[in-house]
Amino acid sequence: MEPVITCEHLTHWFGARKIYEDLNFQVQSGHIVGLLGKNGTGKTTTINILMGYLKPTSGSCRIFGEEVQRISPSTRERIALLLEGHVQYSYMSIDQIEKFYSAFYPKWNRDAYYGLMEKLKVAPGQKISRMSNGQRSQVALGLILAQNADLLVLDDFSLGLDPGYRRLFCEYLRDYAKAEGKTVFLTSHIIQDLEKLVDEVIVMDYGSILVQEDAASLMARYPGLTLEDIFIELTGKY
Amino acid sequence: MNKMILYKEWLKTRWPLLGMAAVMVAFTFYSLLNLAKVVEFRGADILWSTLVFKETVLIEQLKYLPALAGAVLSVAQFLPEMTRKRLKLTLHLPYPQGKMIALMALYGMAAVTLLSLLQALVIGIVLGRWIVSELVVRVLVTAAVWYLAGWATYLWMAAICLEPTWRMRIVLLLILAGLVWLLFLSGIPEAYNDFLPWLVLYVLCGAVLLYHGVARFKEGLQD
Repeated sequence: MEPVITCEHLTHWFGARKIYEDLNFQVQSGHIVGLLGKNGTGKTTTINILMGYLKPTSGSCRIFGEEVQRISPSTRERIALLLEGHVQYSYMSIDQIEKFYSAFYPKWNRDAYYGLMEKLKVAPGQKISRMSNGQRSQVALGLILAQNADLLVLDDFSLGLDPGYRRLFCEYLRDYAKAEGKTVFLTSHIIQDLEKLVDEVIVMDYGSILVQEDAASLMARYPGLTLEDIFIELTGKY
Repeated sequence: MNKMILYKEWLKTRWPLLGMAAVMVAFTFYSLLNLAKVVEFRGADILWSTLVFKETVLIEQLKYLPALAGAVLSVAQFLPEMTRKRLKLTLHLPYPQGKMIALMALYGMAAVTLLSLLQALVIGIVLGRWIVSELVVRVLVTAAVWYLAGWATYLWMAAICLEPTWRMRIVLLLILAGLVWLLFLSGIPEAYNDFLPWLVLYVLCGAVLLYHGVARFKEGLQD
């Protein structure tokens, strides 16, 4: 089966600063893949390239076989995107945003969205801008789940969330992805969240990929260490 | 989907739009009330002679309102898209991106046009009570360039909002300032008649800049 995501010979520079060179990786269907790296190693850059918001200096990426700078609307329908900071149309309320998004996704699952919204305990007319970080993350998660997409791309999904919301997010996401056979590609700076979530890790360092491996086999290679310990071991403490 | 795109634009702009409508109503009412007082005390003859012999169209106080409406509306529509790079959400929707931008711009242009048309209609109807239709047309044709300024500020401010770098925003702002200066350069009634079509064309070409800004955004250009 063709990989869901393929990146080949990806090179990117921001001015005189090299982010990475000749990066190659694939994400197979049904896998939950975590992209780990220190600040500035290019995690968000990679997400931006994949979503067509950044043209790489050279190299190519494809999602569902389509070049990422020219993904068709029908393919975008299969990709759910969570932006860093759970950015949403914050001038909308939870009802308004559900009404808006449901028109674009034929497989929209209203129950998945409102199932999470019931836990929010906010007034239906409350604007998302007036919610806490955690509540906003739940709205974002609800929208992602309701889209019923084949691929979920999440950029630093745990940013600004307290441990309770992070656990809720991880549990919902893993259960949903495994039950529905979804492919997930995500980044997070909180490594301990990923340990129970991901099947596969890609560890980036400045300029290259250090490791792309099945999470279980990586952890088996470093017995007694958590994923966070392994990450520090691979990338250095500072 | 089209309906939901327009719904989103409405949610962003409803209060600024209603606010601008209220401002335009208030200023138009004030301006026409002043004329009504003049007519009451000195007769409609004074309006006739002023329009025919002096370089005025009686409603100059209203000339900057369409430009203000265009600027307010475009900022209300497009600034939220660029705040925290929300445009990424819009461009990610499963809808042709070019058509999306076009629909958003059409909404704004329609809103500015509606405000302008309503104002022109009220002015035409009220002035028509005091002066002949030829002079009403003279007033409205003169005002056409003010309404064009509304389109200009809308399109070019939208392009400025969608432009990802400050350097280019400043360039666009300077060009817009020049264009607006040109549109208000002459206060002589019907001074722009001969080259109004070219000005309309130039202003509408500003719509291309929206796509240029989005393309630069998608390339990842930033300050």
